[in-house]
Amino acid sequence: MYKLRPILKPYYDNLEKGKIMGMKCQDCGDVVWPPLPTCQKCGSTNLDWIDLGTEAVIDEIRFEDSSVGGDYTFRKADEFFVSKEPYCVCVGHFPAGTHQFHAALYGVTEENKDELTSQLPFKADAEFIQLDGGFKSVGFRVRK
Amino acid sequence: MLKQKFARPVSIIGTSSLPQRSFDDPEYKDLSIYELWAAACNQAMQDAGIKPKDVDKLVYSQMANFVTMGNVMSPVGSLEEWAGLAGKPVTHIEQACAGGYLAFNEAVNSVASGKYDIVMCAGLETPKHFNARNQPAYMLQPIQKYDGWWSPGRALFDTAYNRFDGVSDNLLTEEQGKYYIKHYGIDEKTLDDTYNAMAINLRYNASHNPRALERTPYSEIAKKAGYDDVMAYMRSDNNPKITQYIRKSGSVLHNVEAGAIIVCSADIAKKYQDHPITVIDHASVSNTQRYPFCFHQMNVDVRDALYGGQDNFNPDDLDLMITTVMTSGEQLDSAEVFGYLPEGKGYKYELEGRTRFDADRPINPHGGDLSFGHGFGCAGINMLSEAIMQMRGTAGGSQVPKPVNDVLVRGMGGGHTTVGILLENQD
Repeated sequence: MYKLRPILKPYYDNLEKGKIMGMKCQDCGDVVWPPLPTCQKCGSTNLDWIDLGTEAVIDEIRFEDSSVGGDYTFRKADEFFVSKEPYCVCVGHFPAGTHQFHAALYGVTEENKDELTSQLPFKADAEFIQLDGGFKSVGFRVRK
Repeated sequence: MLKQKFARPVSIIGTSSLPQRSFDDPEYKDLSIYELWAAACNQAMQDAGIKPKDVDKLVYSQMANFVTMGNVMSPVGSLEEWAGLAGKPVTHIEQACAGGYLAFNEAVNSVASGKYDIVMCAGLETPKHFNARNQPAYMLQPIQKYDGWWSPGRALFDTAYNRFDGVSDNLLTEEQGKYYIKHYGIDEKTLDDTYNAMAINLRYNASHNPRALERTPYSEIAKKAGYDDVMAYMRSDNNPKITQYIRKSGSVLHNVEAGAIIVCSADIAKKYQDHPITVIDHASVSNTQRYPFCFHQMNVDVRDALYGGQDNFNPDDLDLMITTVMTSGEQLDSAEVFGYLPEGKGYKYELEGRTRFDADRPINPHGGDLSFGHGFGCAGINMLSEAIMQMRGTAGGSQVPKPVNDVLVRGMGGGHTTVGILLENQD
């Protein structure tokens, strides 16, 4: 029988505590982040919370100039971010995870992007992004 | 001959042929979306030789009706009245820019099921204007005045779940360039030239198509800007990069659209249309944008589902591919994944102009979303209309100069849904 339980609230509550939680399938071991109640690999609903830590491996860096719009599309989805610090977008994965993800990556500049690109993959720390709606989201920051 | 995959064979018997324009265009002065809708529906019915009473069901696609049509939840009753279809069953489909394709599929399924004999699918969208709630529809306002319109954080991603992570919609199509460089070993400059050549090719097509939104060839635009070499112009700051790979010329153009197509049971098609077109099959997949390279993967999944239904299908036998091109990478990726261009070599076809309407592997002879234009939930309807006209040989100046009997129409919407449709002339 499918067990009705909160998924989103515990996830966001944990972000406030500095913890990034995913869900691990107890049947096949696949790990999904952000959390979902159904295993994306085998379809099982037998999933439990897993602490993914606060460190990710950055596999790729993608940068862009969002000031040059095409029509009125093509902007970063950062309108709710409290901080307007520039960032780029990365592809990464958690050491305990099983899938790559997209995320915001802070600390990449015109000056260091080539050097950082040459160092891929590298580890980065979680950046808990404060949103103006009173909650946090997950990005990452390049280590100095 | 391809194998029709429906329990009851389905044919296309009618299409509209409205041009792609903006409400800022003098041609559309004093009009509202209601007049355009009525024109599209009536064009399709007249093309099919039927009256509204002959239509058993309407499938209507629109993405932004709440925002752009005076905050109405679903204007199905009004739209039926404007098309003379009041009292008929109607289904409204909203699946971002894939909606038009899915409306067609739903119309086909409605006939294939045996429930209905003649079904119209029609789309409507006005991306750049809206009607305020307290004014009639001809009083148009620029969309920028609508609070909260088109923010990727709200509209493109599901932020009720978890897309508050700042990832851009750019990334989704940018990845196709990344994928291409990574897997096929071309350098960034070659990819840039490929994307520029693609924009030039599509505009070349559009310059022969009076229905297209932007029809001035880039060679002419370059000359006016003082460039004898069009590629030098395309590489210049006149055509700035929006992302690492994508330039302004490689980004979709939006316009107001209405369009309609009529399908019917194949056994009665000849009664209405001398040149009915057979719907072979359709397939679609949806995914989230969470995982990298989701666009590419959706193309792979739709290809497998669509081609898997055919015995010994050879994409080389396709005469034409029409494909959504929100940004440059999408056309190249989809053309190669679906086998219309050879894997890893498609870029050469763009560089050599071989994808133009009058060359050997035509893609988007109408100009594609980069020049023909794009109207969200209606886009798929008009992409299919272009396929129908090409297959009939009635596409005008941008008619592919060879028999167009087998066509793949591939569409994408919202970054989350990809559709493939196979059409064939079997009569």
